[in-house]
Amino acid sequence: MKQTLYEVYQAALLWNIWVRLGIQDVRLRFRRSVLGMGWISLNLAIMILAFGLIYGNLLGQDFSEFIPYLTVGLVLWGYLTNAIVEGGQAFLIAEGYIKQIDLPIYVYIFRSFVSISLTAFLNGLAFVVVMVAYRVPVRWGTLWAIPGMALLMIVAWLLIAVFAYLNAHFRDVAHLASIGMQVMFYITPILYPADLLRQRHLGIIIDLNPAYHLIEIVRRPLLLGQPADSLSYVWSGLTLLLLVIAAVLVMHYYGRRIVFAL
Amino acid sequence: MARLQLTDVHLDFKVGIETRDNLKSILLRKVLQRGGSTRAIQALQAITLSIQSGERVGLIGPNGAGKSTLLKVMAGIYPPQRGHVKIEGHVCPLFEFMTGFEMEANGWDNIRTRALLLGMSPREIERKLDGIANFSGLGEFLDVPLRCYSSGMLLRLAFATSTAVDPQILLLDEAMAAGDASFIESARKRMNELMERASIVVFASHSLHVLPSFCERTILLQQGRIMADGPTQSVIHQYEENVAGKSYGCGADAQSGYQEQAGTL
Repeated sequence: MKQTLYEVYQAALLWNIWVRLGIQDVRLRFRRSVLGMGWISLNLAIMILAFGLIYGNLLGQDFSEFIPYLTVGLVLWGYLTNAIVEGGQAFLIAEGYIKQIDLPIYVYIFRSFVSISLTAFLNGLAFVVVMVAYRVPVRWGTLWAIPGMALLMIVAWLLIAVFAYLNAHFRDVAHLASIGMQVMFYITPILYPADLLRQRHLGIIIDLNPAYHLIEIVRRPLLLGQPADSLSYVWSGLTLLLLVIAAVLVMHYYGRRIVFAL
Repeated sequence: MARLQLTDVHLDFKVGIETRDNLKSILLRKVLQRGGSTRAIQALQAITLSIQSGERVGLIGPNGAGKSTLLKVMAGIYPPQRGHVKIEGHVCPLFEFMTGFEMEANGWDNIRTRALLLGMSPREIERKLDGIANFSGLGEFLDVPLRCYSSGMLLRLAFATSTAVDPQILLLDEAMAAGDASFIESARKRMNELMERASIVVFASHSLHVLPSFCERTILLQQGRIMADGPTQSVIHQYEENVAGKSYGCGADAQSGYQEQAGTL
């Protein structure tokens, strides 16, 4: 256990390597395209436009509230999904490195974390544009988004770690996870306000959904300038705790031996 | 002081079609109490050895004897299933030269990435950058993405970068020479300089005639076991008498064949 944490620490010290590789991953994804990383923002803009028009009208939402709501939701959801679906590939895409170089294995988790967080950050810039366009007020309470975001980033790191191990060992997990995330996308209030479900007495679906709470602890401060419900913090804390346990278990159990599964 | 100490190291590879643990096979095994049997191939058995600072050690044996696997255990890449590995000093594994190369990035970027992966500090890299560029002889091609390189140019760049490290423990798999004739000569010289700088060198090779000039000590591996460990000449002699005449050792590790290819280029 102590050994595992020490190895994570050792890997963290090699930030030179994983920051470089992580940024390179994002850059290479859009190599030789005209827009380059602009595709990330364009992709989001189109989604917002399409979902905003359809669902905004369908649900009779006020655009000046709905568009910012939709934008934060999509950005944060994209972050969580990428952590699971793309981050899950962390060891698989690093197979060549893992088998040839003796770097601490967690370097590749940090690398994935960088590329996924960078993508989310670029998406986040779109939210700033939306915020200005729709005059979302910035108050002191908006700062509550910072601890929320910090928690979300730790969750993302842990998700990458857990799924990187699971995916390397059980190749079916990647497919299962991507289906699961698709279903979750519709269950989680992103395309529609949570209140719509509550009005139909389906609030339980939301309350038991950890993804909803993880999004809320960032979304609510950003949109309303106030902290999220305490229930959301409790749930997010519990999710974090569970993930820490899961991550430490797989890291302790498999550790470097994952090289044999690649 | 650099030191390598392996005590009673065992390492098995699970192989076969049924053995990859997928959810289906695990569920079948757990729920229905049936499913594939795991075939393990013993890649290394009861390896005990100690290499001190200043030693140059050759590693010989037929294909599949476990040479590459042993090197990877020494590098800390493969954790052994049994036994202890004690590594004192910074290990630099040079099993193949291309890891970390990105075809879309230019030569300079790739030198930096590769050098970082080999454990050089950013400051050290900037200091050595010109030397690496010079040795590669690629000139203005370094500004061009790697996908435009010929394989010879790729090798020059990879070799120039990889041999610029200052390792304490240097692990080499099937030393490589390629490129045009003038490059081979300078490559050999640079390789010798690299081996001079390291305080421990372990060197897996099939070229029995070059070993004596490099290493005073040689280890003979066969089917994952140490068959002999002693002065290079006498171990090579034993190898030629006992092993080389007979059949190749049956593939103890499926990967080593591939790696030897990659290493020779």
